[in-house]
Amino acid sequence: MTYFVIFLGICFMLGVLAVASNPSPYYGVVGLVVASVVGCGWLVNLGVSFISLALFMVYLGGMLVVFVYSVSLAADPYPEAWGDWRVVGYGLGFIFVIYVGVVLGELVEYWKVGVLTVDSAGVFFVRLDFSGVAMFYSCGVGLLLVAGWGLLLVLFVVLELVRGLSRGAIRAV
Amino acid sequence: MNPHAKLISTMSLIMGTSITMSSNHWILAWTGLEVNTLAIIPLISKSHHPRAIEAAIKYFLTQSTASALILFSSLTNAWSTGQWDITQLNNPTSCLLLTMAIAIKLGLVPFHFWFPEVLQGSSMTTALLLSTLMKLPPITLLFMSSQSLNPALLTTLAISSALVGGWMGLNQTQTRKILAFSSISHLGWMIAIIIYDPHLTILTFALYSLMTTTMFLSLTQIKVLKLSTMLISWTKTPMLNATMMLALLSLAGLPPLTGFMPKWLIIQELTKQGMTPTATTITLLSLLGLFFYLRLAYHSTIMLPPNSSNHMKLWRTNKASNTPTAILSTLSISLLPMTPLITTMF
Repeated sequence: MTYFVIFLGICFMLGVLAVASNPSPYYGVVGLVVASVVGCGWLVNLGVSFISLALFMVYLGGMLVVFVYSVSLAADPYPEAWGDWRVVGYGLGFIFVIYVGVVLGELVEYWKVGVLTVDSAGVFFVRLDFSGVAMFYSCGVGLLLVAGWGLLLVLFVVLELVRGLSRGAIRAV
Repeated sequence: MNPHAKLISTMSLIMGTSITMSSNHWILAWTGLEVNTLAIIPLISKSHHPRAIEAAIKYFLTQSTASALILFSSLTNAWSTGQWDITQLNNPTSCLLLTMAIAIKLGLVPFHFWFPEVLQGSSMTTALLLSTLMKLPPITLLFMSSQSLNPALLTTLAISSALVGGWMGLNQTQTRKILAFSSISHLGWMIAIIIYDPHLTILTFALYSLMTTTMFLSLTQIKVLKLSTMLISWTKTPMLNATMMLALLSLAGLPPLTGFMPKWLIIQELTKQGMTPTATTITLLSLLGLFFYLRLAYHSTIMLPPNSSNHMKLWRTNKASNTPTAILSTLSISLLPMTPLITTMF
């Protein structure tokens, strides 16, 4: 089980690398899907299955689908695919940077396996993530309003940035 | 700009700044910073000029990187100490990450490259917001966690900011870029003293905001974007140019003007703490800034091209008098005698 979780971690990094190596969005979204699916598996391993489900539904089923539809409207005549030399170069470069960072930062102490989490203790009769979501609506309502406003603000900002411009993208005239 | 969008952006700016400044938990501080970043993006890009769009994207990328680093710093601290209090930042890695993240957010050297270009791409009023309001939450976070940070690193950032701010400002002809480099060197002064007396950092920031608001408002009023426009602006508003000269000398830190107060108190505190070489270095480096402030002051009052010396002020002017500029310029020139009172306020 431990090795499966480590494998999920490696897949997460590969997915992030796939997004960051700058192919065209049609191919980069594959990396996003892989990274988020594997991230959900990671969360299940930590015990917070509700959060994992929420991430799967909202992120994959909502955001990513909307992203794919809107990207398909802004078509690229010659998209950069996986075999392009620029994409391969980015991939190798990121792997090198991560290796140097890990060695120099001496981050090996953070590579402990078997993270201990406390699921339910004391008066908490439900699991940590469920009770957390419930508290989000009761004593954490200020943070709920702030987070909700932040998300709504993103919508308004994006609409304002592309208002009145042709093809709906943030272009320089 | 669309009034509804402007209202949403402005209110979100106020909300984000208040959230970060009043928070004790790292997550809430990070949320406020992100809301600030998002809300000012349409304000930077509102003219939809290619330069403004580029400035907005540069601002967004650098500030998002810094916010991610703040999140990582708080997460590693929570992992090793188990708590999320901003004042209890005990893990050394977290302190290092936070210092670098705040340096990116503020525009300290060596992360200053975005700041002049973003200021040049935005309008004068947005540049004012970027220099004063958007610097307030990061300075608050630094103030709250200042006791755990690395003094050598902060002193290095401070001296190099004063150096680069003064040196790179020398070649500029655009007023927004000059004010950007002035901001970088003033931030260097603020960071130099934060370990020893954080209240002096707040005092320096408040007085710097006062003086730079005066400058930005005066420049907006006469629509001066570059030095060559400054040469001929005296015919339209001679009084404003005269007060602008004094405000510039105040920014440079010359006694008996207000701008001398923070420099004086910082040098005094640094000397008391035994950091005399630091105090000497940073004072000498602000001489570089003095040169371009003097050049701006000279251009605003003394140069008279291509007219003859008995050329008169334009007899027809449509500039309404501006009360905030008047009040702020008075304050930014004459606050030095009230140093004892102001020191007790911070």
